[in-house]
Amino acid sequence: MTAGLPPEEDPGPPPGNPAGPPPGDRLPGVIGHDAQWRRLDPKMLLVHPVQEAVRFLPAIAAVFVTGRTSERSPLWDLAILGLVVAFGMSRWFTTRYRIWGGQIELRKGLFNRSLLTTPADRIRTVDVTAPLWHRAVGLARVEIGTAGGGMLADRIILDALAAPVAQRLRSELLHRSTAGRVEPVDPLGSVGPVDPADSADSADSADSVDSVEPAGASSPAGRAATSSTAEPELLLAQLDRAWIRYAPLTSSGLVSAAAIWGFSAQFAGDLTSTINDAFGRVAALGAGLAVLVGLIAAAGAVSLLAVTAYVLSFWDYRLTRHPGGTLHVRRGLLTVRATSLDEARVRGVEVGEPLGLRLAGASRLTAMTTGLGRGAADQGSAWLTPPAPRAVVLATALAVVGDRPALTGALHPHGPAARRRRFVRAIVPAVVTAGGVLWADRLVDLPTGLLVAGCLPLLAAPWLAADRYAALGHLLTPAHVVARGGSLGRRRDVLAREGVIGVVVRESFFQRCAGLATLTVTTAAGRQGYRIVDVPCPRAEDLAGLLLPAEVTAAFRA
Amino acid sequence: MDEEPGADVQGPHSRLRDPAWQVCPRARWLWAIQGGLWAAVLVAGQVGWWFLDRRGPRDPHLVVALISGVLIVAYLVVMPRWRFRVHRWEVSATAVYTQSGWLSRERRIAPISRIQTVDLTRGPAAQALRLATVRVTTASAAGPLVIEGLDQHDAVALVESLTAVAAAERGDAT
Repeated sequence: MTAGLPPEEDPGPPPGNPAGPPPGDRLPGVIGHDAQWRRLDPKMLLVHPVQEAVRFLPAIAAVFVTGRTSERSPLWDLAILGLVVAFGMSRWFTTRYRIWGGQIELRKGLFNRSLLTTPADRIRTVDVTAPLWHRAVGLARVEIGTAGGGMLADRIILDALAAPVAQRLRSELLHRSTAGRVEPVDPLGSVGPVDPADSADSADSADSVDSVEPAGASSPAGRAATSSTAEPELLLAQLDRAWIRYAPLTSSGLVSAAAIWGFSAQFAGDLTSTINDAFGRVAALGAGLAVLVGLIAAAGAVSLLAVTAYVLSFWDYRLTRHPGGTLHVRRGLLTVRATSLDEARVRGVEVGEPLGLRLAGASRLTAMTTGLGRGAADQGSAWLTPPAPRAVVLATALAVVGDRPALTGALHPHGPAARRRRFVRAIVPAVVTAGGVLWADRLVDLPTGLLVAGCLPLLAAPWLAADRYAALGHLLTPAHVVARGGSLGRRRDVLAREGVIGVVVRESFFQRCAGLATLTVTTAAGRQGYRIVDVPCPRAEDLAGLLLPAEVTAAFRA
Repeated sequence: MDEEPGADVQGPHSRLRDPAWQVCPRARWLWAIQGGLWAAVLVAGQVGWWFLDRRGPRDPHLVVALISGVLIVAYLVVMPRWRFRVHRWEVSATAVYTQSGWLSRERRIAPISRIQTVDLTRGPAAQALRLATVRVTTASAAGPLVIEGLDQHDAVALVESLTAVAAAERGDAT
């Protein structure tokens, strides 16, 4: 156990370092040449108690207040303050790290002890930050991110090192991980040659540069970029103004309406009288007509908002492919967004067909790409097309993934058990809701409108279940795995099989009763995991075997 | 591997077998302690109700206490044993394979070449029982592979071997 974690404390000073010079003063050696565990900078003993004290300030205040009013001795307060300070200082004694044998190891924790390790090759980002307290004593905080990204638990945080040590650590780690890296593509041509450390530091944004700029300022830069790259770019799709008619069919109008409603509700005090007047006049027409007028007005307002949102975000939309292997999206009216996606990082596409668009024969296209992070799909950085006619979207998708069967081919249905489950899951909640409303009506007299609203889901449920089952399906093509599901938000996910990282077969209690399982294909791109819902269990296990390399799963076959 | 679109369904059904190794038997105590904490919250709620509701009849208290007592005992007796039968793990030369759960069951496979980080954590209860939890993360944020309730020495050995193999792989594993 030379390299491991001795389960019980305490390893003592590392061999060969008996005098124990202040650890922060020694720079970490070149990676792979130094097996010693290092502590954080001892100046941290000044910073952390202050930080902990600030964090526990409310509790400390409460202690002091109650201490004053009751007859307790002030020693009690001091003891608690001492505990807080000791807790802050304990971190220095319990945290050690080393960079050795091509990996970074971090041990920490007093009650919750943990050992974090990551190979140095997997490092994507190294952030060095210096908050106020740290700067005052010349410290810096180092945060090491791997491609798994996002989650705090996965990040190795060294809080804190002496500022020069932190800088040197950063450059050493990044130099190592960028040694075999291709220079990031620079689609706007606005930044000069980048030094490797910086480029890897912003690796996420370099993988898919996403720049937001005011409309006026952007055009010269954009033009300069296009003229400097003499090679022709290939136009894949371009906004047709007729597409704006699809805007009211998406939920974007509803979302903005809700936001505006919530915002204005706080300021609309003096408006209420006017609105009440209007309501009074409409109500005079009779209940049926009033509801009709209200619905039409609401639909009109929501549509207007949706059209505005569509124009603002998709005006002048162009999707082009550059010979260097990047997809380039430009769109926006007031704020022009230019997003470049490195095609080497695109792992597939999502064809979204929410109910409204589907009824109008339209859909929209999103790219699955690594390095954007999980929220990127919601923020629109990965959008390839706006809501557009299905034929346009399919042609664009075909140009991106080049696998026609995956995009248009018939899918394998999931069978009668999955169909039953769709109906049970749609009808049972509807029955419970309707039953609850009817039961409540016997206790207290409910308005008729509420009774009708409570029973409406019961009418919609069978249709919803049938539609959801019709969407359910999956397909394996030589290059892609395809999953489709959903009714209101139907989506066809086309994921490259080479982008599959792992599989999860999950059977809930009720799924096990029905012999079904949900197969989640995990990937580093897009939503990070794509689900094939309620597939018969043997088929899920089969798929798990087919999706991973044969030599991986051969050992686990029954 | 069957590559024909549409034909992959007809391939011979090859079920996955369970992972080969069970976790440490002491893990049953770990799950019992974790379940006991939930039970303690439930009991505390009822004790609070007993003292707040001074006027009312005692019968409802006794009925609820009886029912929850039976459920808690059943839960604490059944759940750890059931989990111990389900929770299994295996590391082959090329992949990590875990199975967990009790009422619902989850199996995860990740190729070793895709491993990003290997973490070992030990909470207070786990330390008292000389157990440890190993988390293996990949480049996907869809969730790590977690092996709970390993003997701490086995866990350290596992972390060492996995990190050694993962460090030997090239590329960024996305």
